[in-house]
Amino acid sequence: MKLGRLPALVRTTTFRLALVHASIFILFTASLLTYLYFETTGRLDLQAENELNAEFQELSTAYRSGGFDRLNQAVFERSSATGKFFYLLQDADGRRASGDFNMLPISPPESGQVVEVKFNYDARAPGGGEARRSAEGRVSRLSGGGVLMVAYDLAELGEMNRRILAVVVRSALVGLGLSLIGGLVISRSAAQRAESLARLTEDVMGGDLTRRAAVVGSGDEFDRLAIQINAMLSKLERLVVSSRSAGDAIAHDLRSPLTRLRNRLEGALSEGTVEGARDALARSIEEIDDVLGTFNAILRLSRVQAGATGSFRRLNASGVTDELAELYQPVCEEVGLGFSYAYEPELFVQADRDLVAQAMANLMDNAVKYTPEGGAIRLLARRTPRGEVALTVVDSGPGIPEADRERAVERFARLEQSRSKPGSGLGLSLAAAVAEAHHGRLELADGDAGPHGAGLSVSLVLPPA
Amino acid sequence: MRVLVIEDDADAAAFVQRVLQEAGHDADHAADGDAGLNKARTGEYDALVVDRMLPQMDGLTLLKTYRDAGGRAPALFLSALGEVDHRVEGLQAGGDDYLVKPYAPSELVARVEALGRRTPSDGPATRLSAGGLEMDLLARTVHRDGKKIDLQPREFRLLEFLLRHAGQVVTRTMLLEKVWDYHFDPQTNVIDVHVSRLRGKIDKDFDRPLLHTVRGAGYRLEA
Repeated sequence: MKLGRLPALVRTTTFRLALVHASIFILFTASLLTYLYFETTGRLDLQAENELNAEFQELSTAYRSGGFDRLNQAVFERSSATGKFFYLLQDADGRRASGDFNMLPISPPESGQVVEVKFNYDARAPGGGEARRSAEGRVSRLSGGGVLMVAYDLAELGEMNRRILAVVVRSALVGLGLSLIGGLVISRSAAQRAESLARLTEDVMGGDLTRRAAVVGSGDEFDRLAIQINAMLSKLERLVVSSRSAGDAIAHDLRSPLTRLRNRLEGALSEGTVEGARDALARSIEEIDDVLGTFNAILRLSRVQAGATGSFRRLNASGVTDELAELYQPVCEEVGLGFSYAYEPELFVQADRDLVAQAMANLMDNAVKYTPEGGAIRLLARRTPRGEVALTVVDSGPGIPEADRERAVERFARLEQSRSKPGSGLGLSLAAAVAEAHHGRLELADGDAGPHGAGLSVSLVLPPA
Repeated sequence: MRVLVIEDDADAAAFVQRVLQEAGHDADHAADGDAGLNKARTGEYDALVVDRMLPQMDGLTLLKTYRDAGGRAPALFLSALGEVDHRVEGLQAGGDDYLVKPYAPSELVARVEALGRRTPSDGPATRLSAGGLEMDLLARTVHRDGKKIDLQPREFRLLEFLLRHAGQVVTRTMLLEKVWDYHFDPQTNVIDVHVSRLRGKIDKDFDRPLLHTVRGAGYRLEA
């Protein structure tokens, strides 16, 4: 089970990143340790060299002050004491006078010369028998003809170097292990969160739109991704629900006119006179046009709600209301309604002109439709105290009771008293959808109270640009 | 007018052809993009009616290719895609007008005839007239039988459009699109109100009316 999951883990991006990270870490550690190694061993070599120099210095002092005998004495004492250095002193004839070795590893240098040597020698091992060891040292011809060699065993230094190397290698291995484990842990937790997101999308594709990604609260990129995905799912869910309810609404709102239409056509078939049939057909066509109008309104509303339409530009909102005022003023006068228009300048918004115009035209249509003769309609374009841009249609009609306002904005919601009026019942819904598409909102309130009721005020509130 | 209808749906094509023929035009038919482009290139047509979605070559590509090759016949797109962005695409591809399915036959005829009017390069006309009604586009004045008529700016544009299409039926939707630049249908009869106001100004004091209502279709300015 665990083994089976490993390859999947290895395939994850985070694991690869962890691996890259580990490699970089190891490369860094290795160079650091290599540097440390050479620096330390170099320092040790230098130290041995300095000690050798000092030893030579002391012996040559002895030679200068007491001649060969004094030197012989000093070498004898030093070689019998346990110390770092090994010695060999030969007299002018090449015979061994004192020291640890029996013979020189090289032929003795000319007088006054100092020669560095590196050689192997056999020494008695602690457990008996002989072991080959290596040493490094210096050979010098004495002014009186003798030869002095001072050497030190490399084994000790080598041992030191080996130990350092061992430490370095072990640290590198531990570092490698740690960084790999760290990488695995990190990539596993990342992979698990990615995996849970993948499972979530699977569930959603399976049809469960209510599922949401877990937000840990760490604020990292996974959390941000989860929050985004959740927002997307909420929107999707809303759209699906609204299209479902649109489906219901279509069934509800189109079925009855279609049924009426069918009956009328059937009646036309059995109509006795040509005129009668013609008349029935003409009315049928009108009815079809109504159905198509409703259908188009549904489609348009769906597209606006899905955010699939509109070209948003910075524009002056009062430009839109100017045109609407001009368009509707004669209409109001025609049906015996008062009309007034007031606007503030420079109401800039980021908006689609056609959508805003349509939303406002719907509000004007509603106001004209529901305000009884003798009433008045006001169109306002102004800035709210919070700096937003509000385009408002106020009428003096019956208004909508506060309890019904939310429902009035829903698709196809036509309040009981309005059932008899023509229209698709989508006007307010479309205005609300347009508001949402602009990150604004639709506000319903009491309008101008009058003999017919509290009046209605509908505002399309848009964020300023 | 000789009109080429490029439409793959045989029923829809037959309907368009019949509607145009009943209105007194010759209507030829091509059933796919390639055939349509080849026929259009013969240069025998006064106007093209192009469905947006066609087999072989879609309507937008067809018209772009046709225009790039120097084709000048005005074109009307027919499409089930009716959002503003779709219209803009259609106009950018070289279309002169855009009609969303489903449409009323009268709307189609009115728009095709409006297209035909454009073909002769009228040039930048400075005066428009019909039956004693004179419009000076530079001075922005209107006279009828020598008598000055005062118009609001929007009424002026409305009359200008009617004059440019004098003798043709213009629909309410056309007026809303071309005069007000709105691509939706207000439910109230806003256009009727504006037209009747204009009529009050240009026809009221004269014996012979110029601005006629065409029942079930729209309006016609005719001397």
